[in-house]
Amino acid sequence: MHTASQERLSEGERAFVDQVITSRTGCPGALLGILESVQEHHPNKYLPVQTLEYIAAQTNIALSRIYSVVTFYALFNLQPQGDNTICICRGTACHTRGSRNLLQSVRLALGLGLEDASETSEDDKTLLTTLDHKYTVRTVACFGQCALAPVVEVNHRICGHVNERTLQREISTLERESY
Amino acid sequence: MPNKKLSIRIDGELISALEGQTILQAAKVNGKYIPTLCDLEGLTPVGACRLCIVEVSGIDRLIPACTTPIQDGMSVTTTSARLTHNRRISLELLFVERNHVCAACVSNGHCELQSLASAMGISTVRFAYNYPKLGVDLSHPRFLLDHNRCILCTRCVRVCADLEGAHVWEMTSRGIHARIMSDLNQRWGDSRSCTNCGKCVQACPTGALAEKGCAVEEMVKRTDNISSLIQRREVQA
Repeated sequence: MHTASQERLSEGERAFVDQVITSRTGCPGALLGILESVQEHHPNKYLPVQTLEYIAAQTNIALSRIYSVVTFYALFNLQPQGDNTICICRGTACHTRGSRNLLQSVRLALGLGLEDASETSEDDKTLLTTLDHKYTVRTVACFGQCALAPVVEVNHRICGHVNERTLQREISTLERESY
Repeated sequence: MPNKKLSIRIDGELISALEGQTILQAAKVNGKYIPTLCDLEGLTPVGACRLCIVEVSGIDRLIPACTTPIQDGMSVTTTSARLTHNRRISLELLFVERNHVCAACVSNGHCELQSLASAMGISTVRFAYNYPKLGVDLSHPRFLLDHNRCILCTRCVRVCADLEGAHVWEMTSRGIHARIMSDLNQRWGDSRSCTNCGKCVQACPTGALAEKGCAVEEMVKRTDNISSLIQRREVQA
Protein backbone atom coordinates (compact mmCIF):
# COMPACT_ATOMS: atom_id res chain seq x y z
CA MET A 1 0.00 0.00 0.00
CA HIS A 2 1.33 3.39 -0.93
CA THR A 3 0.74 6.66 0.78
CA ALA A 4 0.64 9.87 -1.19
CA SER A 5 4.21 11.06 -1.29
CA GLN A 6 5.19 14.66 -0.97
CA GLU A 7 8.62 14.10 -2.50
CA ARG A 8 9.15 15.73 -5.86
CA LEU A 9 10.93 14.35 -8.89
CA SER A 10 14.27 15.86 -9.76
CA GLU A 11 14.50 18.39 -12.59
CA GLY A 12 16.28 15.92 -14.89
CA GLU A 13 13.78 13.13 -14.35
CA ARG A 14 10.87 15.46 -15.00
CA ALA A 15 12.48 16.66 -18.22
CA PHE A 16 12.93 13.06 -19.37
CA VAL A 17 9.32 12.11 -18.58
CA ASP A 18 8.07 15.24 -20.34
CA GLN A 19 10.11 14.41 -23.41
CA VAL A 20 8.82 10.80 -23.52
CA ILE A 21 5.24 11.99 -23.13
CA THR A 22 5.58 14.58 -25.90
CA SER A 23 7.13 12.08 -28.30
CA ARG A 24 4.18 9.72 -27.82
CA THR A 25 1.22 12.07 -27.51
CA GLY A 26 -1.63 11.21 -29.82
CA CYS A 27 -0.84 7.61 -30.56
CA PRO A 28 -3.33 5.11 -29.10
CA GLY A 29 -2.09 3.10 -26.15
CA ALA A 30 0.65 5.65 -25.48
CA LEU A 31 0.65 4.86 -21.77
CA LEU A 32 2.36 1.48 -22.17
CA GLY A 33 5.21 2.97 -24.17
CA ILE A 34 5.60 5.87 -21.77
CA LEU A 35 5.79 3.57 -18.76
CA GLU A 36 8.25 1.25 -20.49
CA SER A 37 10.65 4.04 -21.49
CA VAL A 38 10.48 5.67 -18.07
CA GLN A 39 11.17 2.39 -16.29
CA GLU A 40 14.07 1.60 -18.62
CA HIS A 41 15.53 5.04 -17.91
CA HIS A 42 15.50 4.55 -14.15
CA PRO A 43 18.83 3.23 -12.79
CA ASN A 44 16.99 0.65 -10.67
CA LYS A 45 14.57 -0.30 -13.49
CA TYR A 46 11.37 0.47 -11.63
CA LEU A 47 8.55 3.00 -11.45
CA PRO A 48 8.54 4.98 -8.20
CA VAL A 49 5.21 6.32 -6.91
CA GLN A 50 6.25 9.92 -7.53
CA THR A 51 6.94 9.12 -11.19
CA LEU A 52 3.50 7.52 -11.58
CA GLU A 53 1.89 10.57 -10.01
CA TYR A 54 3.84 12.87 -12.30
CA ILE A 55 2.89 10.86 -15.42
CA ALA A 56 -0.77 10.92 -14.33
CA ALA A 57 -0.68 14.69 -13.88
CA GLN A 58 1.04 15.31 -17.23
CA THR A 59 -1.03 12.93 -19.35
CA ASN A 60 -4.42 13.44 -17.66
CA ILE A 61 -4.77 9.69 -17.22
CA ALA A 62 -6.36 8.62 -13.94
CA LEU A 63 -3.92 7.38 -11.29
CA SER A 64 -5.99 4.23 -10.83
CA ARG A 65 -5.77 3.50 -14.56
CA ILE A 66 -1.97 3.77 -14.49
CA TYR A 67 -1.68 1.58 -11.41
CA SER A 68 -3.97 -0.97 -13.02
CA VAL A 69 -1.79 -1.17 -16.14
CA VAL A 70 1.41 -1.38 -14.07
CA THR A 71 0.08 -4.28 -11.99
CA PHE A 72 -1.45 -6.10 -14.97
CA TYR A 73 1.81 -6.51 -16.87
CA ALA A 74 4.63 -8.50 -15.25
CA LEU A 75 7.12 -6.28 -17.12
CA PHE A 76 6.59 -3.32 -14.81
CA ASN A 77 8.21 -3.13 -11.39
CA LEU A 78 7.04 -1.10 -8.42
CA GLN A 79 10.07 -2.09 -6.35
CA PRO A 80 13.72 -1.23 -7.09
CA GLN A 81 15.41 -4.05 -8.98
CA GLY A 82 18.87 -5.49 -8.35
CA ASP A 83 21.83 -5.01 -10.70
CA ASN A 84 21.56 -8.61 -11.88
CA THR A 85 18.33 -10.44 -12.64
CA ILE A 86 18.00 -14.19 -12.33
CA CYS A 87 14.72 -15.39 -13.75
CA ILE A 88 13.70 -18.99 -13.15
CA CYS A 89 11.04 -20.68 -15.25
CA ARG A 90 8.29 -22.33 -13.21
CA GLY A 91 6.39 -23.76 -16.16
CA THR A 92 5.26 -27.39 -16.20
CA ALA A 93 8.21 -28.77 -18.17
CA CYS A 94 10.78 -26.94 -16.05
CA HIS A 95 8.94 -27.90 -12.87
CA THR A 96 9.15 -31.61 -13.70
CA ARG A 97 12.85 -31.15 -14.43
CA GLY A 98 13.43 -29.69 -10.98
CA SER A 99 13.07 -25.90 -11.23
CA ARG A 100 11.71 -25.72 -7.68
CA ASN A 101 15.05 -26.99 -6.35
CA LEU A 102 16.88 -24.45 -8.52
CA LEU A 103 14.74 -21.64 -7.13
CA GLN A 104 15.34 -22.76 -3.58
CA SER A 105 19.09 -23.17 -4.04
CA VAL A 106 19.33 -19.67 -5.56
CA ARG A 107 17.35 -18.26 -2.67
CA LEU A 108 19.66 -19.96 -0.20
CA ALA A 109 22.82 -18.94 -2.09
CA LEU A 110 21.79 -15.29 -2.16
CA GLY A 111 20.52 -15.25 1.41
CA LEU A 112 16.87 -14.69 0.49
CA GLY A 113 15.54 -17.43 2.75
CA LEU A 114 13.18 -20.22 1.82
CA GLU A 115 9.53 -19.89 0.96
CA ASP A 116 7.16 -19.60 3.86
CA ALA A 117 3.54 -20.63 4.00
CA SER A 118 2.15 -17.17 3.25
CA GLU A 119 3.92 -17.06 -0.10
CA THR A 120 2.80 -20.46 -1.33
CA SER A 121 -0.81 -19.27 -1.38
CA GLU A 122 0.05 -16.74 -4.06
CA ASP A 123 2.96 -18.59 -5.63
CA ASP A 124 2.29 -17.76 -9.26
CA LYS A 125 4.94 -15.07 -9.03
CA THR A 126 8.04 -14.67 -6.88
CA LEU A 127 10.01 -11.46 -6.89
CA LEU A 128 12.83 -11.01 -4.42
CA THR A 129 15.73 -8.59 -4.28
CA THR A 130 18.76 -8.95 -2.04
CA LEU A 131 19.29 -6.26 0.57
CA ASP A 132 22.45 -4.97 -1.17
CA HIS A 133 20.45 -4.57 -4.43
CA LYS A 134 22.89 -6.80 -6.29
CA TYR A 135 20.47 -9.55 -7.32
CA THR A 136 16.81 -9.91 -8.13
CA VAL A 137 15.31 -13.39 -8.28
CA ARG A 138 12.02 -13.74 -10.09
CA THR A 139 9.93 -16.49 -11.62
CA VAL A 140 8.08 -16.69 -14.90
CA ALA A 141 5.27 -18.98 -16.04
CA CYS A 142 7.00 -20.17 -19.22
CA PHE A 143 9.81 -18.99 -21.49
CA GLY A 144 8.64 -21.12 -24.40
CA GLN A 145 11.95 -23.00 -24.29
CA CYS A 146 10.60 -26.22 -22.82
CA ALA A 147 13.02 -28.41 -24.81
CA LEU A 148 15.83 -26.82 -22.79
CA ALA A 149 14.11 -27.41 -19.45
CA PRO A 150 14.90 -26.40 -16.80
CA VAL A 151 15.52 -22.89 -18.11
CA VAL A 152 17.01 -19.97 -16.21
CA GLU A 153 17.49 -16.48 -17.60
CA VAL A 154 20.52 -14.64 -16.25
CA ASN A 155 20.55 -10.95 -17.19
CA HIS A 156 18.36 -11.62 -20.25
CA ARG A 157 20.57 -14.50 -21.42
CA ILE A 158 18.77 -17.85 -21.61
CA CYS A 159 20.58 -20.83 -20.10
CA GLY A 160 19.17 -24.30 -20.81
CA HIS A 161 19.49 -27.65 -18.98
CA VAL A 162 20.52 -25.85 -15.82
CA ASN A 163 21.40 -27.77 -12.69
CA GLU A 164 22.36 -26.49 -9.29
CA ARG A 165 26.09 -26.62 -10.11
CA THR A 166 25.88 -24.64 -13.36
CA LEU A 167 23.60 -22.11 -11.69
CA GLN A 168 26.09 -21.74 -8.85
CA ARG A 169 28.79 -21.14 -11.47
CA GLU A 170 26.68 -18.43 -13.14
CA ILE A 171 26.27 -16.67 -9.82
CA SER A 172 29.99 -16.77 -9.05
CA THR A 173 30.68 -15.35 -12.53
CA LEU A 174 28.32 -12.46 -11.79
CA GLU A 175 30.00 -12.06 -8.40
CA ARG A 176 33.43 -11.79 -10.07
CA GLU A 177 32.18 -9.37 -12.74
CA SER A 178 30.80 -7.01 -10.15
CA TYR A 179 34.25 -6.42 -8.69
CA MET B 1 -29.54 10.18 -39.90
CA PRO B 2 -31.73 7.95 -37.75
CA ASN B 3 -30.46 4.44 -37.19
CA LYS B 4 -31.68 1.77 -39.57
CA LYS B 5 -34.32 -0.63 -38.31
CA LEU B 6 -33.30 -4.26 -38.28
CA SER B 7 -35.52 -7.22 -37.64
CA ILE B 8 -34.29 -10.07 -35.52
CA ARG B 9 -35.85 -13.07 -33.83
CA ILE B 10 -35.59 -13.53 -30.09
CA ASP B 11 -36.89 -16.92 -28.92
CA GLY B 12 -38.77 -17.24 -32.18
CA GLU B 13 -40.59 -13.93 -31.85
CA LEU B 14 -39.97 -11.41 -34.60
CA ILE B 15 -38.96 -8.00 -33.23
CA SER B 16 -37.52 -4.88 -34.77
CA ALA B 17 -34.58 -3.08 -33.21
CA LEU B 18 -32.26 -0.24 -34.10
CA GLU B 19 -28.92 -0.80 -35.78
CA GLY B 20 -26.09 -0.46 -33.27
CA GLN B 21 -28.06 -1.87 -30.37
CA THR B 22 -26.69 -4.92 -28.61
CA ILE B 23 -28.69 -8.13 -28.31
CA LEU B 24 -29.26 -7.37 -24.62
CA GLN B 25 -30.59 -3.85 -25.34
CA ALA B 26 -32.91 -5.10 -28.06
CA ALA B 27 -34.20 -7.83 -25.75
CA LYS B 28 -34.78 -5.39 -22.90
CA VAL B 29 -36.69 -2.92 -25.07
CA ASN B 30 -38.94 -5.74 -26.22
CA GLY B 31 -39.55 -7.14 -22.78
CA LYS B 32 -37.36 -10.22 -23.15
CA TYR B 33 -35.39 -11.18 -20.05
CA ILE B 34 -31.72 -12.13 -20.21
CA PRO B 35 -29.95 -12.53 -16.84
CA THR B 36 -26.89 -10.34 -16.23
CA LEU B 37 -24.80 -9.01 -13.35
CA CYS B 38 -22.21 -6.69 -14.88
CA ASP B 39 -24.53 -4.81 -17.23
CA LEU B 40 -26.10 -1.57 -16.04
CA GLU B 41 -28.21 0.47 -18.43
CA GLY B 42 -26.19 3.35 -19.82
CA LEU B 43 -22.73 2.10 -18.86
CA THR B 44 -20.24 0.75 -21.40
CA PRO B 45 -20.75 -3.03 -21.59
CA VAL B 46 -17.69 -5.14 -20.74
CA GLY B 47 -18.91 -8.74 -20.73
CA ALA B 48 -17.39 -9.57 -17.35
CA CYS B 49 -19.96 -11.88 -15.75
CA ARG B 50 -20.78 -14.15 -18.73
CA LEU B 51 -24.34 -14.65 -17.50
CA CYS B 52 -25.99 -12.98 -20.49
CA ILE B 53 -24.72 -15.67 -22.86
CA VAL B 54 -27.20 -16.56 -25.61
CA GLU B 55 -27.32 -18.94 -28.53
CA VAL B 56 -27.28 -17.43 -32.00
CA SER B 57 -28.31 -19.79 -34.78
CA GLY B 58 -25.47 -20.54 -37.14
CA ILE B 59 -22.83 -19.89 -34.48
CA ASP B 60 -21.69 -22.84 -32.44
CA ARG B 61 -20.25 -21.06 -29.43
CA LEU B 62 -22.24 -19.11 -26.86
CA ILE B 63 -22.23 -15.34 -27.26
CA PRO B 64 -22.46 -12.61 -24.60
CA ALA B 65 -25.61 -10.59 -25.36
CA CYS B 66 -24.29 -7.38 -23.72
CA THR B 67 -21.34 -6.86 -26.07
CA THR B 68 -22.71 -8.32 -29.32
CA PRO B 69 -24.36 -5.85 -31.72
CA ILE B 70 -27.45 -7.14 -33.53
CA GLN B 71 -27.39 -8.06 -37.19
CA ASP B 72 -30.30 -8.21 -39.59
CA GLY B 73 -32.01 -11.58 -39.60
CA MET B 74 -30.26 -12.80 -36.44
CA SER B 75 -32.06 -15.54 -34.54
CA VAL B 76 -31.35 -15.55 -30.81
CA THR B 77 -32.27 -18.12 -28.17
CA THR B 78 -32.22 -16.87 -24.57
CA THR B 79 -33.21 -20.03 -22.71
CA SER B 80 -32.13 -23.60 -23.27
CA ALA B 81 -30.71 -26.46 -21.26
CA ARG B 82 -27.22 -25.69 -22.55
CA LEU B 83 -27.48 -22.02 -21.55
CA THR B 84 -28.83 -22.84 -18.10
CA HIS B 85 -26.00 -25.32 -17.59
CA ASN B 86 -23.32 -22.77 -18.50
CA ARG B 87 -24.92 -19.87 -16.62
CA ARG B 88 -25.09 -22.08 -13.56
CA ILE B 89 -21.39 -22.86 -13.78
CA SER B 90 -20.54 -19.15 -14.10
CA LEU B 91 -22.66 -18.31 -11.06
CA GLU B 92 -21.24 -21.15 -8.98
CA LEU B 93 -17.71 -20.03 -9.80
CA LEU B 94 -18.58 -16.51 -8.65
CA PHE B 95 -19.65 -17.94 -5.30
CA VAL B 96 -16.51 -20.07 -5.04
CA GLU B 97 -14.12 -17.21 -5.68
CA ARG B 98 -14.99 -15.03 -2.68
CA ASN B 99 -16.60 -15.39 0.73
CA HIS B 100 -20.28 -14.74 0.08
CA VAL B 101 -22.01 -15.16 3.42
CA CYS B 102 -25.56 -13.99 2.73
CA ALA B 103 -26.79 -14.35 6.31
CA ALA B 104 -24.28 -11.73 7.49
CA CYS B 105 -24.46 -9.39 4.49
CA VAL B 106 -25.94 -5.90 4.42
CA SER B 107 -27.40 -6.64 0.98
CA ASN B 108 -29.14 -9.87 1.99
CA GLY B 109 -32.48 -9.88 0.21
CA HIS B 110 -31.52 -7.02 -2.15
CA CYS B 111 -28.51 -8.61 -3.80
CA GLU B 112 -28.48 -9.24 -7.54
CA LEU B 113 -26.11 -12.19 -7.18
CA GLN B 114 -28.31 -13.76 -4.54
CA SER B 115 -31.58 -13.24 -6.41
CA LEU B 116 -30.11 -14.63 -9.64
CA ALA B 117 -28.83 -17.68 -7.81
CA SER B 118 -32.16 -18.33 -6.15
CA ALA B 119 -34.00 -17.77 -9.43
CA MET B 120 -31.79 -20.43 -11.00
CA GLY B 121 -32.36 -22.75 -8.06
CA ILE B 122 -28.74 -22.85 -6.91
CA SER B 123 -28.66 -24.13 -3.34
CA THR B 124 -25.30 -25.88 -3.43
CA VAL B 125 -22.04 -25.36 -5.28
CA ARG B 126 -20.32 -28.34 -6.87
CA PHE B 127 -16.79 -26.86 -6.65
CA ALA B 128 -14.57 -26.42 -3.60
CA TYR B 129 -14.66 -22.94 -2.07
CA ASN B 130 -11.48 -20.85 -2.29
CA TYR B 131 -11.95 -19.08 1.05
CA PRO B 132 -9.48 -16.29 0.20
CA LYS B 133 -8.28 -14.08 3.05
CA LEU B 134 -9.55 -10.66 2.03
CA GLY B 135 -9.72 -7.31 3.72
CA VAL B 136 -12.45 -4.78 4.37
CA ASP B 137 -11.73 -1.09 3.74
CA LEU B 138 -13.50 1.07 6.31
CA SER B 139 -11.39 4.18 5.78
CA HIS B 140 -14.07 6.16 3.93
CA PRO B 141 -16.25 8.23 6.26
CA ARG B 142 -19.56 7.21 4.65
CA PHE B 143 -18.99 4.01 2.68
CA LEU B 144 -17.23 0.68 3.01
CA LEU B 145 -15.57 -1.75 0.61
CA ASP B 146 -15.70 -5.46 1.39
CA HIS B 147 -13.59 -7.50 -1.03
CA ASN B 148 -15.23 -10.69 0.24
CA ARG B 149 -18.47 -9.78 -1.52
CA CYS B 150 -17.01 -8.37 -4.74
CA ILE B 151 -17.74 -10.18 -8.01
CA LEU B 152 -15.44 -7.98 -10.14
CA CYS B 153 -18.28 -6.81 -12.38
CA THR B 154 -16.50 -3.42 -12.70
CA ARG B 155 -19.77 -1.47 -12.49
CA CYS B 156 -18.15 0.83 -9.89
CA VAL B 157 -15.15 1.35 -12.17
CA ARG B 158 -17.36 2.32 -15.10
CA VAL B 159 -19.87 4.43 -13.21
CA CYS B 160 -17.01 6.42 -11.63
CA ALA B 161 -15.10 6.87 -14.90
CA ASP B 162 -18.02 7.37 -17.29
CA LEU B 163 -20.64 9.14 -15.23
CA GLU B 164 -18.85 10.85 -12.35
CA GLY B 165 -15.62 11.40 -14.29
CA ALA B 166 -13.45 10.87 -11.21
CA HIS B 167 -12.04 7.45 -12.18
CA VAL B 168 -11.25 6.48 -8.61
CA TRP B 169 -11.74 2.72 -9.11
CA GLU B 170 -9.78 0.33 -11.26
CA MET B 171 -8.83 -3.33 -11.27
CA THR B 172 -5.39 -4.28 -10.05
CA SER B 173 -3.45 -7.48 -10.83
CA ARG B 174 -5.16 -10.20 -12.80
CA GLY B 175 -6.69 -13.63 -12.68
CA ILE B 176 -7.47 -14.92 -9.23
CA HIS B 177 -5.52 -12.01 -7.69
CA ALA B 178 -7.63 -9.32 -9.35
CA ARG B 179 -9.04 -6.76 -6.92
CA ILE B 180 -10.89 -3.49 -7.04
CA MET B 181 -8.67 -0.66 -5.79
CA SER B 182 -8.74 3.12 -5.63
CA ASP B 183 -6.08 5.47 -6.97
CA LEU B 184 -2.59 4.06 -6.31
CA ASN B 185 -3.87 1.08 -4.33
CA GLN B 186 -4.59 3.50 -1.51
CA ARG B 187 -7.23 3.19 1.14
CA TRP B 188 -10.52 4.59 -0.13
CA GLY B 189 -10.53 7.27 2.57
CA ASP B 190 -7.08 8.48 1.44
CA SER B 191 -8.10 8.76 -2.21
CA ARG B 192 -7.76 12.34 -3.40
CA SER B 193 -9.84 11.88 -6.55
CA CYS B 194 -12.95 10.50 -4.82
CA THR B 195 -15.81 13.01 -4.73
CA ASN B 196 -17.83 11.04 -2.13
CA CYS B 197 -20.78 10.93 -4.55
CA GLY B 198 -21.71 7.32 -3.74
CA LYS B 199 -22.59 6.34 -7.32
CA CYS B 200 -20.31 3.29 -7.10
CA VAL B 201 -22.19 2.15 -4.00
CA GLN B 202 -25.56 2.41 -5.74
CA ALA B 203 -24.26 0.67 -8.86
CA CYS B 204 -22.72 -2.29 -7.00
CA PRO B 205 -24.87 -5.41 -7.50
CA THR B 206 -23.79 -7.02 -4.21
CA GLY B 207 -22.86 -5.76 -0.76
CA ALA B 208 -19.20 -5.20 -1.69
CA LEU B 209 -19.71 -1.44 -1.72
CA ALA B 210 -22.19 -0.32 0.92
CA GLU B 211 -23.14 2.59 3.10
CA LYS B 212 -21.80 2.53 6.61
CA GLY B 213 -24.26 2.05 9.43
CA CYS B 214 -26.42 -0.49 7.63
CA ALA B 215 -27.31 -3.67 9.48
CA VAL B 216 -27.93 -7.00 7.77
CA GLU B 217 -30.54 -6.70 4.96
CA GLU B 218 -30.68 -2.90 5.24
CA MET B 219 -28.62 -1.89 2.18
CA VAL B 220 -31.01 -1.32 -0.71
CA LYS B 221 -29.26 -0.26 -3.91
CA ARG B 222 -30.80 2.30 -6.26
CA THR B 223 -29.47 1.28 -9.67
CA ASP B 224 -32.52 2.91 -11.27
CA ASN B 225 -31.20 6.30 -10.08
CA ILE B 226 -27.92 5.69 -11.90
CA SER B 227 -29.69 4.66 -15.11
CA SER B 228 -32.08 7.63 -15.09
CA LEU B 229 -29.17 10.00 -14.40
CA ILE B 230 -27.36 8.62 -17.45
CA GLN B 231 -30.50 8.97 -19.57
CA ARG B 232 -30.97 12.61 -18.56
CA ARG B 233 -27.33 13.35 -19.32
CA GLU B 234 -27.76 11.86 -22.79
CA VAL B 235 -30.86 13.95 -23.45
CA GLN B 236 -28.96 17.09 -22.42
CA ALA B 237 -25.96 16.32 -24.59
